[in-house]
Amino acid sequence: MKLAWQNIIHDRVRFLVTVLGVSFAVFLMVFQGSLLAGFLQAASKLIDASDFDIWITARGVPAFEFGATLESRVREIAAGVPGVIETGRVCMAFAVYRNPNGKQQIVGLVGADPNIGKHFPVPGLPGSGSVEVISPDAVLYDESNRDQIEVTTLPAEVEINRHRASIERQIQGFGSFLGLSYLFTSYRNATRYISLGPERTMYILLRVGRGYSVSAVQQSLRRRLPEVDILTRQEFAHKSRIYWMIKTGAGGAILTGAVLGFLIGLVVVSQTIYANTMDNIEEYATLKALGASRAFVALIVCTQALICSLVGSIVGLLVVVPLVDYAKSLISWVYIPWWLPVAMIVPSLFMCSLASIASVRSALAVEPGRVFRA
Amino acid sequence: MPDHFLGVEGASVSFGKGGARVRALRTVSLLLKRSTFSLVMGPSGSGKTTLLSLFGCLLSPDEGMVFVEGVAVNRLREVERTVIRQKKISFVFQAFRLFHSLSAIDNVALGFRLRGVRQSERIVMAQDLLHRFGLGDKLQQRPTGLSPGEKQRVAIARALAGNPPILLADEPTASLDSQEGRNVCRIFRSLVDESGKTVVVVSHDPRWQEFADRTVILRDGQIEREVKNP
Repeated sequence: MKLAWQNIIHDRVRFLVTVLGVSFAVFLMVFQGSLLAGFLQAASKLIDASDFDIWITARGVPAFEFGATLESRVREIAAGVPGVIETGRVCMAFAVYRNPNGKQQIVGLVGADPNIGKHFPVPGLPGSGSVEVISPDAVLYDESNRDQIEVTTLPAEVEINRHRASIERQIQGFGSFLGLSYLFTSYRNATRYISLGPERTMYILLRVGRGYSVSAVQQSLRRRLPEVDILTRQEFAHKSRIYWMIKTGAGGAILTGAVLGFLIGLVVVSQTIYANTMDNIEEYATLKALGASRAFVALIVCTQALICSLVGSIVGLLVVVPLVDYAKSLISWVYIPWWLPVAMIVPSLFMCSLASIASVRSALAVEPGRVFRA
Repeated sequence: MPDHFLGVEGASVSFGKGGARVRALRTVSLLLKRSTFSLVMGPSGSGKTTLLSLFGCLLSPDEGMVFVEGVAVNRLREVERTVIRQKKISFVFQAFRLFHSLSAIDNVALGFRLRGVRQSERIVMAQDLLHRFGLGDKLQQRPTGLSPGEKQRVAIARALAGNPPILLADEPTASLDSQEGRNVCRIFRSLVDESGKTVVVVSHDPRWQEFADRTVILRDGQIEREVKNP
C-alpha cells in the first residue's frame, strides 16, 4: 500500500489539512464525549455513592434533585418486608444559603443518615472520602464550589434557610452540574434546615440481606407499597441520567456537539479524499488498464482514508487529553473515561470509511480506456 | 493454440450518439501471429488507438470478434477482461503514465504486484529489470527527476514486470528525442526476438518501420493497406 501512502504524503499541505480536520473532529467528539460522560456521571453520582440496594421515592420523582416527600410509615412497612435488613434516609432540597458576608444564594442541600454508604458525603462517617470523623451537624461542601460558598476559613458560621450552620470541611468529587452548589450534612440536621417533620421523609433506602434476591424483594415491596416508586439503585441512577440527558435537553445539546464533530470530520475527510482521488484519477485509470482489480483500486482509496483517520485521531487525542484535564479545573464534573479515547477509533474509522465512499465510486467508475489519451 | 494469437475479426466501433456518432472502426479484421512485431500507422482519427484498445481488452466492439491468445474475449465481462489484462497484456503509453509519487523501482514493483508476484521478490525483480534498461543508478528517482527517455524505459520495465506475452504501445516515442526514440525501438525489437513477445505499436513515427515485421496503415477506420517488412 505504498502507493496509497505516497499519494497522500505527496501533497503535504493537503495531508496536513486533512489531518487537522480529522484531529478537530476527534477532538470535538472526545471533548463533547467527556462532557457527556461527566454529565451522566454527575447526574447520578449521589445515587451511585450509596451502597443500599433499593431506593423508595415518591411516585413520579424523575431525578434525585427533584425529590418529593413520603410518609415516614413507609419506612416502617418496608423494614418489615422479608429480606430487608437495614434502612436509611436521604433528603434533598433547595435552600437559601447566606455566607459569612451576608450574601445569599440558592444551594442544593443533601442530608443523609450516616450508614448510607462509605463513599456518600456525610459528616461523621469514618472513611467517607476526605471526610474525617467530625460533628454530625457539620456542613460539607465540594472544593469546586469554594468560590461560590465564599468561606475563607474553616469552620465558618453561615445560615441555611435562616438556621445557623457550621461549614467544617471541604470534600472532593461531588461538584454540582446544576450551576449551584451542593451542601452536605446529616439527615437530622438537613430536616431541621428544610423543616421536614419526623412524620415525613424523602428517600428511603433499603439494604437487602444475603440470600435474598433484590428483584424479589422489590416485587414484595411494590405489592405492599403501591403508592410509591420502588427502584433498584441502578434503576434510579438510570432514571436520573435519562431525565437530565433527554428530558432537559442539556445532554442533547452536548450529544449534538459530538455529532457535529463527527459531521465536520466527515465533510473534511470526504472533501480531501475525494479531491485527492480526482487529482489522481488518471493513475487509477492506469492501474485499471494494467489489470488492477476493483478491490485493489478500492483498497488504495480506503487505505488513504484510513491513514488520514489514524494520523488525525492520534493528533486529536494528543491535544484533547491535556485540554480535558485543563477543563476539569473549570468544570469539575467533566470526566474522560479511559475507554473514550480508545472508543473514538470506531467513529473515526467509520467517518473515514463513509468519507471514502464517493471517492471509491469515482475511482472504480473511471474508464481504463482513457489511458490512451495523451 | 490457433495460429492467430491476437486479433480482431469484422470489428466495428462507434462513439457518441445521434448526429454526433463517429464510426472509429469499420469492419476491421487483423490477425497477428505470436512473437511478431506489428506497427499500426495512419493519420489522426484513423482508428489506431481504438484498435489498440480492442487488442488491450479496454474496449468491446459493437460488432465483430476480438481474440487474445486465440480466445474470443469480446463478450467477456469487465472483471474477466481485467484478469486477461493482468495476466497477458501490458501497455506502454506516450505520456509514460508512471505513478508520480512512487520511485522508479516502486513503479516497476507495482507492476509485479499487479501480476501477483510475492512481496519478497518484487523489489529484487524490479531492480533487475531496471538494471537491464540501464537505470541502475535511478532506482530511487521519482518520475519528475527522470528524463523522458528514462521515464519511458521505466514504463517499459513496468510493462514487462510479470512477463506478460503481449505488449501494446501507443506512440511510445512521441515524447522522446531521436536518439532515445531509437533506443526504445531497439528495445521493442529485442523483446520480440529474445523474449518472444507479441508487440503492437501504434505510431506516426516512420522510424518504427525498419524494426517492425509488418506495418498496417489505417484510414477512416479501415485498413488501407498492409506492408510486410523484409
